[in-house]
Amino acid sequence: MTGLGMVCEHLSFAYQAGEQRVLALRDISLSLAPGSSTALLGPAGSGKSTLLLILRGLLDPDEGEVRLGGVGMADRGYAEAQRSVGLVFQQAERQLFAATCEEDVAFGPRQLGWPPQQVQEAVAEAMERVGLSPALFARRHPYALSGGEQRRLALAGVLAMRPRALLLDEPFVGLDPAARRDLSAILRGLATSGETVVLATHEVDRAWELCEQRVVLAGGGLAASGAWDFAAGGVELLESHGLQVPTLVELWRRLGRPLAHPPRTATAAAEALA
Amino acid sequence: MSTLIDIRELRFAYPGNQAALSGISLNVQRGESVAIVGANGSGKSTLARILGGLERPTAAARALVCGADLTTLEGRLSARREAGILFQDPENQFVGADVEEDLAFGPENLGWPAERIRERVEELICAFRLEDLREREPHMLSGGQKQRVALAGVLAVPRTLLVLDEPTSMLDAAGKHDVLAAVRRLHAEGLTVILVTQEMEEAAIAARVIALDAGTVAFDGPAATLFTDQEALARLSLGLPLPAAVAAEVERRGRRLGTLPLDLEGLVTALREVVS
Repeated sequence: MTGLGMVCEHLSFAYQAGEQRVLALRDISLSLAPGSSTALLGPAGSGKSTLLLILRGLLDPDEGEVRLGGVGMADRGYAEAQRSVGLVFQQAERQLFAATCEEDVAFGPRQLGWPPQQVQEAVAEAMERVGLSPALFARRHPYALSGGEQRRLALAGVLAMRPRALLLDEPFVGLDPAARRDLSAILRGLATSGETVVLATHEVDRAWELCEQRVVLAGGGLAASGAWDFAAGGVELLESHGLQVPTLVELWRRLGRPLAHPPRTATAAAEALA
Repeated sequence: MSTLIDIRELRFAYPGNQAALSGISLNVQRGESVAIVGANGSGKSTLARILGGLERPTAAARALVCGADLTTLEGRLSARREAGILFQDPENQFVGADVEEDLAFGPENLGWPAERIRERVEELICAFRLEDLREREPHMLSGGQKQRVALAGVLAVPRTLLVLDEPTSMLDAAGKHDVLAAVRRLHAEGLTVILVTQEMEEAAIAARVIALDAGTVAFDGPAATLFTDQEALARLSLGLPLPAAVAAEVERRGRRLGTLPLDLEGLVTALREVVS
């Protein structure tokens, strides 16, 4: 799968709340390379979900331009490019509706008008990718699954449409620790398999583990984008916006170790320490 | 200390469903702080609702909260007065058009005179640092602000017990910090606190942890004991706080760190002694 590059130029967007216009995004310019994995960080209300909705095409920016794989909003083929962006909403399992797992996952591909054989293959592949073997889960009722399995099934419903970019909005919220570990492993696989991944989350430890770079939003504006750069101001940047510094980076800082390449997992930290 | 929660063999099933709780027994003393953990679907939220007097136990050998019998309507009404409950998403908990009105709702319902309600609202605004928000509409606040207002609203009337059901899971780091700091302060002032959480870092702070498994109590003891039992953690779909996970991995590589550190502070201290 070839990832989709995504570029935003001077994006602005305001919600209409009664008489008032509430500015959600202000002059956002950033570039996400094909196949990159990016954590979208920022305090509550900083515009993370709004940016995801614009990238998915569910909101149109008031100003500015989005380019997907080099195709601009005014260009022919933009609708096509948008269809290759998948968005997994917060608490995505609330959108499960079909009577069996495979029917639920098949909904998206069918809407795209794919022939039955291709739908079937896409469903089986997507279920495998999220660790729900079709042999065991295809015929089960989605509501009979555990909370973690339901979340993964909802992810499979998006993956089945074979997106070239995957946007995830707070995918870990409400999951127990085991379900979070399972989901982390799946997302790590996605981030290395070619899809462009954008992960909006408050869970900085997970974001640092899974994403090679980060975008920080604050008050609707862009505070930073690119590498985490902990050796050159990255720690102070997170702190100045009331965000947590990843635990393992904080550990390295407290131990007085260089912050050029802090560990991303407990195992990597232990290997460096032992 | 006196017993605040005294529950024996409590069972509960939602109508037409399998048992959500199948024989829970637990005892909580006045002034304790207890974390409740467990896999999705293990019964945590149901137990929280029962302790708050919001559900009628299907059966129980004993079901006393603050002396009130939860199997009777009078008992549940009494438990609802004594126990404040705060949910993951406070959105449904707001009733007032602005923050001041919302905080006044509980005292108004108890028929307090206007003067006393006014005083109480001022106390809450001061205690929960809501000065800048008093005329804001609750629904328009940020997640952390909402949860602080909801917590103040729950505590507007005198409470003996505070039950929190994953109160920080939707919050950013600053919001989490605010809410947890408020809860710690209330506990220090003597309130009994039950905290349902998926965050092992939060569970590690509580003196006592109860782990549920398929509607039963699978563990009840100090956090440090639970987190040194790898087999139990795996069976219960739990995990280690990240600092403890680092310590465990370091130990697996042959470096002894002594007592398992549960937070970053403890880990830094332990590592400074053994790693040059």
